[in-house]
Amino acid sequence: MPEFLQFAFMRNAFVATTLIALMGSLVGYFVVLRRQAFASHALSNIGFAGAAGASLAGVDPMLGLLLFVMGAALVMAWTGRDLGERDVSVGMILMFSLGLGALFVNLYSANANAAIGILFGSVFGIDAGQIRWIAITSAGVLIGLGAIFRPLRFASLNPQAARAQGIPVATLDTLFLLLVGAAAAIAVPVIGSLLSFAIFVGPAAAAQAWCGRVGLGMGLTALLALLESLGGLLLSYYANLPASSCIAALSFGLYAVSRLPIRALRA
Amino acid sequence: MAEAASASPATIEARGLAAGKGAALAFKHVSFQIAPGSFTALVGPNGAGKTTLFEAILGLIPPRHGEIQVLGETPRRMRRQVAYVPQALALAHDDALIGREFVSAAFQAHRLGLPLPDARRRARAAVEAALETVGASDLASRRLSTLSGGQRQRLLIAQALVNRPRLVLLDEPLSQLDPAARDWIVAVAADLTQRGIAVIFSTHDINPVLRVCDRVLYLAQGRGRIGSVDEIICDETLSELYVTPVRVIRDGGRRFVFADAPVSDVG
Repeated sequence: MPEFLQFAFMRNAFVATTLIALMGSLVGYFVVLRRQAFASHALSNIGFAGAAGASLAGVDPMLGLLLFVMGAALVMAWTGRDLGERDVSVGMILMFSLGLGALFVNLYSANANAAIGILFGSVFGIDAGQIRWIAITSAGVLIGLGAIFRPLRFASLNPQAARAQGIPVATLDTLFLLLVGAAAAIAVPVIGSLLSFAIFVGPAAAAQAWCGRVGLGMGLTALLALLESLGGLLLSYYANLPASSCIAALSFGLYAVSRLPIRALRA
Repeated sequence: MAEAASASPATIEARGLAAGKGAALAFKHVSFQIAPGSFTALVGPNGAGKTTLFEAILGLIPPRHGEIQVLGETPRRMRRQVAYVPQALALAHDDALIGREFVSAAFQAHRLGLPLPDARRRARAAVEAALETVGASDLASRRLSTLSGGQRQRLLIAQALVNRPRLVLLDEPLSQLDPAARDWIVAVAADLTQRGIAVIFSTHDINPVLRVCDRVLYLAQGRGRIGSVDEIICDETLSELYVTPVRVIRDGGRRFVFADAPVSDVG
């Protein structure tokens, strides 16, 4: 066994990160395909307000995070039916939630560390109980994504034609946002709400620049997410740097490499 | 204005149809039949109700008055026999998605769950056939982001064909194309009628489809008329539709419409 896996906290971090990388990146493939990166980022950040509110109320921050994120997903689905025109309503919901988060932290600073920890995550603080929840949620999200895969793919690429064929595009949109919300809620305590782009958007954006097929693109997305997240953990362990920073740096590096040739060719 | 019933069952039969969104009706008292394998040009100025008529044919909005049947059934029950081709495809500049994958997304898209190997084989065969039908086999491996407007339009039509529809609705497919691409798309649409597919081709300009259309369905001022090109694009019919004197001038096989007040951009 490698040296770094002799520690329980490292083993837990590896398992949790693997599960979240697989689930988050596969959901993220559709987030990028549907141009919903801002909504995904907002959902992750809204979790901070929920966690802070739960801390204030004296309940498990995870419960508040989950309620806020899922509630925000429903409100986003309700307020913006056109994907391209949703940015303003998402921004307003995000702004309101962060304001609430700041208020909750201000009202109850004694327990604010737990909420602030949500912002950057604590991958090396994951215990076996959390891993069980991450595994159950990941399985549920991936089963849900698999169930709606075909109509979601069509509705993402050609929503008008899909609607004409009788595919319930608005219902699919709501279901998908709930899946993103569930994925974000379980991923945020590990990777941090501010750095969720590293898993939800970075690998998919890189893969979609290279890969012209959806199936292969999803496979490449998952592979890149595993590389950057597990690579980030190792880098963090050996270089004694924050894990989230290492994962974010690798995610940005992959994205930059995937896009640079396209920009250069176009120039 | 109802047409005489043809020997074969009508693809669409509308009687005294009125439809609209919100409080206002886009049109009323519109009656027409669409025969299998026929090419119908749907012409009218902006706001005349062309899109509303498509939505009624697709069962997306209910008729306010009158009735409409598609293939002898209510539109909602026949949605999978009807394909809708939107005006254009919006994609990000860097998309690597290839033509074959885009077309394939529509194949049995209403089904839940991941496609099994047998479904993937059938999808491949349907996609190749659809691409060949529209003369786009050479676009199968090309990135969508590198294609011209006309090439993208051909892929949109190919995608509409993968589920073997009996009626194809083309929504202003010429609006963003250059003249050469327009001729291509009109030829592709006309070829569908040779395969027994009824085509309704929405356009501002009747001239590109003059040679191939069997009937013209003209919507204006909340009214509709259907008939041959000569019956509809003439002084008498258009003056009656617009309730103002309208003059149609023929020049080199093209037709131009003039009126004291601007009525449309036909020709």
